[in-house]
Amino acid sequence: MFEKVLIANRGEIALRVIRTCRELGLRTVAVHSEIDTDALHTRLADEAICIGPADPTRSYLHIPAIIAAAEITGADAVHPGYGFLSENPEFAETCAQCSLEFIGPLPEQMRRWGDKVSARALAKSLGLPTIEGTELVEDVDDAVKKAEALGFPVLLKASGGGGGRGMHVLESKEELRAIFETARSESRAAFGNDALYFEKFIERPRHIEFQILGDKHGNIHVLGERECSIQRRHQKILEEAPSVALSDEMRNDMSATIQRAIGEAGYISAGTLEFLLDDRGELTFLEMNPRIQVEHPVTELVMGVDLIAEQIRVADGQPLELPERPLSARGHAIECRINAEDPDTFAPSPGTITELHMAGGTGVRVDSGVYGGGRVPPNYDPLIAKLIVHAPTRAQAIAKMQRALSETLIGGIRTNIPLHQRILAHPAFAEGRFSTRFLDELQAERLLTAPVRH
Amino acid sequence: MKLDLDQLRDLIRLLDESNLTEIEVEHDDDRIRVRRDPVASQSVAPGAVASSTHPSGAPAAEEDEGSYVTSPFVGTFYRASSPESDAFVEVGDSIAPGQVLCIVEAMKLMNEIESEVAGTIVDVLVENGKPVEYGDRLFRIETT
Repeated sequence: MFEKVLIANRGEIALRVIRTCRELGLRTVAVHSEIDTDALHTRLADEAICIGPADPTRSYLHIPAIIAAAEITGADAVHPGYGFLSENPEFAETCAQCSLEFIGPLPEQMRRWGDKVSARALAKSLGLPTIEGTELVEDVDDAVKKAEALGFPVLLKASGGGGGRGMHVLESKEELRAIFETARSESRAAFGNDALYFEKFIERPRHIEFQILGDKHGNIHVLGERECSIQRRHQKILEEAPSVALSDEMRNDMSATIQRAIGEAGYISAGTLEFLLDDRGELTFLEMNPRIQVEHPVTELVMGVDLIAEQIRVADGQPLELPERPLSARGHAIECRINAEDPDTFAPSPGTITELHMAGGTGVRVDSGVYGGGRVPPNYDPLIAKLIVHAPTRAQAIAKMQRALSETLIGGIRTNIPLHQRILAHPAFAEGRFSTRFLDELQAERLLTAPVRH
Repeated sequence: MKLDLDQLRDLIRLLDESNLTEIEVEHDDDRIRVRRDPVASQSVAPGAVASSTHPSGAPAAEEDEGSYVTSPFVGTFYRASSPESDAFVEVGDSIAPGQVLCIVEAMKLMNEIESEVAGTIVDVLVENGKPVEYGDRLFRIETT
């Protein structure tokens, strides 16, 4: 087993990894930018190395600085967290060349799933139900031809896009002709790649994803699903496990299909297969994320598994020791992502946290990267903490989350806690009747019913 | 002005609640100055790094004179191009802009660190072969 793990990340996920390492008796190295000198991950790791200025391209994304930090501290493994370099195959390769164990999938597995068009083709060849889509389009005439063959409405997507960016819903070929060149140059500017393709547009889908874990001995386990339909501009805000939209039969069938498909392709470490669920109850594969996800704690709570510990054991070459039969969820878990942002305008709200009191009590877990008196820098992701609850039933989990949010006090900056309270109090949410459009509809409803201010 | 403890406490509280690093009050011939280091020094595991000086932390008053060459990389600090060679610079040497002062090795790449200014080496702050972080002070220089 390796002895010292460098965490190539910051914020709550860096802390999440440090905590499991400490429980496993592994020493930890935090890397940090200048602005994160007093950040919690810097403070709680056994060692901390400043690797560059606040600009992430010169610190958290700067491969030579991270490798050099591993070299001078004698770390023998690297956990990339999520975001930053977590899905960068060159980084995984460089780690291997420098005799550092990369805690994640193999570089070729990342490449295989990283390109969305080829990932969909691969998923299809493995027998996964995939969303209908096209090859990359050549020019505007080719685009019109492909879109018509697929049938409007279509979703125009950037091949290099991610995190919900680079997408356009198009109702007609006139609309497509009007936007095509703009979409192409946007894509080139944002992702350095102007390749575009189409997917069938599903009007009101739910976003359902399945957690997988694979080891170096060919074992693949599927650890149930997460419901991630509560999104704003394709950014997840609230997640839960299990999903009320899946029957046991659908869940077991899809788990078996995924286990067989990924077993055939081969996969090491934690990964997530994202699906859309349409109103006919059909699940279609969207993409595969070859890394740990932000919302992994809801799976951990209902499955009783420490996914980071499993990632570390698998990287060390140990076989997974999970039951042969698919694990079934125990109770219900909900996660609220607490972002430093205005709950109405969603404008970022960095600054100094003057006071902080996080919720506690039975069934409440807090994964946070901040402390009272600490600073939320403007340079990074606004996610400052995740509040996660676990209860026997979904209704109890909702009540518990409402209680936990009411106890949470974060002073000095604005957070989206009021938004979470509105979501949890909404009858459609309580009844489980929602799609990825829920938040847009909630905002519209709020505008209609909000008292007029004079 | 007699030194009044309550006044002093008020000043400290004022400093604490503000973004200021220094408050000076002058009254007739008396003067009280309260100041702080804006960045609290960060504890790092012993032996982990060569220097605990923080790059953006304001130097304490007695260190204020002179300027510093800081490390642009995280890596290992070398004073010479090879173990047999002489050090690039010694204390007392005059240096010119563009002159190589040391090497910071990262990922087997030898990065030569050049001086941006003309001056004299006053102090070498890191031992040969020791690890340095981004922003660590390597040399103190008196600029000319």
